[in-house]
Amino acid sequence: MTDREQYMPGPANGVQIRKDGEKWTLILVRELRHSPEKVWQALTDPAHLREWAPFEADGSLGTVGTTVKLTTVGAPTPHVSETKVTRADAPKALVYNWGNHDIRWELEAFGGGTRLTLWTNIGRRFISMGAAGWHICFDVLDRLLSGTPIGRMVGPDAMKFGGWQRLNAEYAKQFGIEAPNWPPQAAQES
Amino acid sequence: MKIKVTSIYVDDQDKALRFYADVLGFTKKTDFSQGPYRWLTVAPAEDPNGTELQLALNNNPAAKAYQEAIFQQGQPAAMFFTDDVKGDYERIAARGAEFTMPPTGVTGSTIAMLNDTCGNLIQLTQLAHYSR
Repeated sequence: MTDREQYMPGPANGVQIRKDGEKWTLILVRELRHSPEKVWQALTDPAHLREWAPFEADGSLGTVGTTVKLTTVGAPTPHVSETKVTRADAPKALVYNWGNHDIRWELEAFGGGTRLTLWTNIGRRFISMGAAGWHICFDVLDRLLSGTPIGRMVGPDAMKFGGWQRLNAEYAKQFGIEAPNWPPQAAQES
Repeated sequence: MKIKVTSIYVDDQDKALRFYADVLGFTKKTDFSQGPYRWLTVAPAEDPNGTELQLALNNNPAAKAYQEAIFQQGQPAAMFFTDDVKGDYERIAARGAEFTMPPTGVTGSTIAMLNDTCGNLIQLTQLAHYSR
């Protein structure tokens, strides 16, 4: 079996939500055994993003003021968002938007590695799905940085995967919300 | 081939869902999200297993320009058929919808036009039945 086939995410962990009226924000924290410089490259370089992120970028996200097109991987209809990098303090802070989602990364040097934090707003109905998806992306990012990449696992690749479904249910329970009905009934019947 | 889904652009999917569900009386069929992408469909209560209407977020400048232009021209972005356009007009207007055209006789049908509050005009059409 390949590393990808053997991969199974750990339990729901390291994710919090902040509720500010109707605006809900997902906060993910992960400690990585890699330098902030190395993590920064994985967050900004399109060739690195392709190995773990839920979107394709047509340019580097590492320069403030640049406009980059982000293509959602595996969306049911083609979906491209034009994003603007509003903050890029290498290797500490990175802020841009992904469609109507604000994406804010913070990299903190921590015991020879990096404490990586992601803040992103997300519709409340989808917050457990988002937490499960980013959790897996972080795992894949960690493997990539360690030199044992297992390949991006997003969109349909993630959703059909039992580990994602379990995380979705665990995060829904943790956040006290009802897990979204997934897969849809029509797909379950076929 | 079958037409199972047809799409309409909306400026806000939550607002669109409220309008199509609460004002027009449609039922939500599918709702899931992937990053900023959200696939959202509804179907009329009268035909819940019929063709679905996808409420697609309009974040595309070219589509926005087109949508605004046809709205300004008074062209409908979609057309729904009914057996009772007058009854629908009264029911929907009572729920606060703005009609830009009350039921009006035209060739072969009676039509009405309403604003869906999300950037579109919707035409309701009742076909005329002629006695032979």
